[in-house]
Amino acid sequence: MIAALRSFTDRLLGRGEATITVPSFDGALKPNQMLEKAQTLGQFDSPEDLATDGHTLYLADGAVIRRFDGAETSELRRFEAPITALCCLPDGGLAVALDGREVRLFATPSAASAAVTFTDPAMNAINALSCTPDGTLIATDGSSARPYRQWVHDLMERGRSGRVLVLDPASGKVRTIASGLAYAFGACAAGDEIFVSESWRHRVIAVDPEGHQRTVIDHLPVYPSRLSSAASGGFWLTAFAARTQLVEFVLRENGYRRRMMAEIDPEYWIAPKLRSGQSFLEPMQGAHIKTMGVVKPWAPPRSYGLVIRLSAGGVPLYGLHSRVDGVNHGAVVAVEMDGALFAVAKGPGRLLRLPLAGIEQELRA
Amino acid sequence: MSDDIILALRNATKLYAGVPAIENVDFELRRGEIHALVGENGAGKSTLTKVMAGVVALTSGTMEVNGVAATPRTPLEARHLGIAMVFQENSLVPTMTVAQNLFLGQEKFYNRLRGIYIAAQQFLQSLNFDVTPTATVGLLGAAKKQMVEIARAVLHEAKVIIFDEPTATLTPEEKKYFFDLVRDLKRRGVSIVFISHALEEALILADRITILRDGRHVVTDDAAKFDRARIVQAMVGRDLSNTLYGIRKNSVRPAGERVLTVQNLKMAPMVRNNSLSVFAGQITGVFGLVGAGRTETFKVVAGVLKRDFFHGGEVILNGRPVRYRVPAPAVRAGIAYVTEDRKVEGFFETMSVARNIYLGLLAKMPGGRFFLSGREADKVGKTWVEKLKVRATGSDIRVVELSGGNQQKVVIAKSLVQDPELIIFDEPTRGVDVGAIVEIHELIQRLADEGKAVVVISSYLPEIMALSDRILVSRQGKVVEEFSALEATEEKIMYAAVH
Repeated sequence: MIAALRSFTDRLLGRGEATITVPSFDGALKPNQMLEKAQTLGQFDSPEDLATDGHTLYLADGAVIRRFDGAETSELRRFEAPITALCCLPDGGLAVALDGREVRLFATPSAASAAVTFTDPAMNAINALSCTPDGTLIATDGSSARPYRQWVHDLMERGRSGRVLVLDPASGKVRTIASGLAYAFGACAAGDEIFVSESWRHRVIAVDPEGHQRTVIDHLPVYPSRLSSAASGGFWLTAFAARTQLVEFVLRENGYRRRMMAEIDPEYWIAPKLRSGQSFLEPMQGAHIKTMGVVKPWAPPRSYGLVIRLSAGGVPLYGLHSRVDGVNHGAVVAVEMDGALFAVAKGPGRLLRLPLAGIEQELRA
Repeated sequence: MSDDIILALRNATKLYAGVPAIENVDFELRRGEIHALVGENGAGKSTLTKVMAGVVALTSGTMEVNGVAATPRTPLEARHLGIAMVFQENSLVPTMTVAQNLFLGQEKFYNRLRGIYIAAQQFLQSLNFDVTPTATVGLLGAAKKQMVEIARAVLHEAKVIIFDEPTATLTPEEKKYFFDLVRDLKRRGVSIVFISHALEEALILADRITILRDGRHVVTDDAAKFDRARIVQAMVGRDLSNTLYGIRKNSVRPAGERVLTVQNLKMAPMVRNNSLSVFAGQITGVFGLVGAGRTETFKVVAGVLKRDFFHGGEVILNGRPVRYRVPAPAVRAGIAYVTEDRKVEGFFETMSVARNIYLGLLAKMPGGRFFLSGREADKVGKTWVEKLKVRATGSDIRVVELSGGNQQKVVIAKSLVQDPELIIFDEPTRGVDVGAIVEIHELIQRLADEGKAVVVISSYLPEIMALSDRILVSRQGKVVEEFSALEATEEKIMYAAVH
């Protein structure tokens, strides 16, 4: 009764759970155009994930794994289903998640067949794979209700069914170490713990082997996605979209949201997107985002690109942005190799490269 | 006495309880000149000008107006001699209209408001002042109030107008407008005396500068012959130019944990959807023109003001949403707000330094205390007086008897005694002399070095640039731009604040 009353007053006054606010991009997340200015290595149909063994970069592009040898990309292998996650194993192997429902381990990237295949029926939307230093394979399953490609449906349904899984190659068994997450999307080992992105709660949490959780960083102004290790310690965290008050408002209005989902083409929902500005039917138009016909970089973002450099403790050090007026939006993965950062901007389908020399000094200043 | 001199003081001495506020000061004001009076707090500037304006009488010495000996004993007598003073805390009646204030004391037996408004309108237009005569003075901004004060002085046909810290409450744009006004008065043949702590203003505006120190005349010379270093050295008797705004930052402190997040804060009409963060171990400077909502934002954070009742936004302290309706819980949560208006909100002026500081400590205690310990108050007061180098004969002296700089130190001590985690300094050096400014700046830097989250709100750009690690620029109720101290320039900051 008291909870119901509180909920009612919160909704009436716009407080508590019903607060429609978003944090600003400031401090370490102060906007710049670094990601927008990054070199474009190639444009692909549906780039999804990156993995590196320290020498070679692997790109998951639809159902194809491409190898990038520094100059150009070549097709390494092709699958029958779209790849949703990719990871290099410490022993030189490769782990691949297919359609979010199956994970295959290959002894080498070019091995003819999978050494181990995980097909646990509970796996539904595997969106990231990561290896701990001891070789344990970690997977994040975004939602048990919606397949990977329907991530926006999960957000609009306020999904809370994300999980962190431990895949044991020896037994072929899958163990859940965290569940009830609001879209787990990315994991990376951090000492004895695993840092996990929880997109719909705009935070990164740490999960220990026993499943205990603690918040590493919260109140992010973005929806965080995959995590990877940085060469000099710490992590790279990507964010595929930025939060807006409009979307926060829609997420609070259940009736409106239900009708929107039932009656409107998902392409035009009031929801974060990986790219925007493609159609006049999009919900945010005109003076919302433009002045004198020019897109305002500071406008409320329907789509956004951001890579955040985190310290070993998870404190943001700086961010690489592609703002509202940019195109390198929908950053879903960033990995570091040979002194450069490689990132996928899923919105325009680009593989990006940013030399890191000098960037850190410039941005941290 | 030359015809060129409109007002002169010879061997002017004023004693307060046997202690000289000014001693054997010679001062000459030429016709149609702008004369800056510069000196530390307690140098005797205000006393000297109050003598001219008839507010206080000389203990010894003489005063001449147009070569004739004059001893105005009241401001009215001074006004009859053609001398008017515009005080730092303006002397307008806030509940009256502009026109009523202009004609205050000159009302006829049958007063016709319409007639007053028409006369005021014509007069203000003749001065090219954009002030509505029917507007209530209390609702005007600082610059407009200043205009009304000036207009009143001109209306009384003052030949000498004295300004005490006229620009302290003005924004940079308003200052520029004020300077134009003063130059216009000069063109009309009015002589101007103005006191300012902002030395650049004296250098830019004045024809001549007089420097006082410890109640004595140090030097008077053409402004062109001064530079900042010479003024400062004459004021304090030592060279401070390298410690005060002199050195440009070549490194900034890295951000620590996010201590404060303000999300879409609203407090109509001043704060409009404002969002910002403050980090530990850094000084976050907040710059903006008056009315940009800086003070109001942080007063909401500190529980001094309330945000909008409906959809007022969120304040998150150390990851936890907070909503303070009064300052006490904010103080207990580790937030200290050092007010910009120390005389009204900062201290109890008739209480001792020690008791004032002790009050700060009491505010931190949940539920206060039933029995108060005078001994503890004295001990706490003494400790902080020594720590902050408050120049007072003892911690039992009343705060009203201290100079502006030392009063400010008491206000700061009152907050620091609470051992806050987040300290908000609102215009920390307004009306404070250069010597105390250096000490206050060092203290602020030290707090950030100790890992505290420090916010400095200031309208004075050099101060913001000298102190801050990151600079937030506020405009029309929200933060519109952020600069690292390394990339910030005055032009960039001002552009963001205005456009």
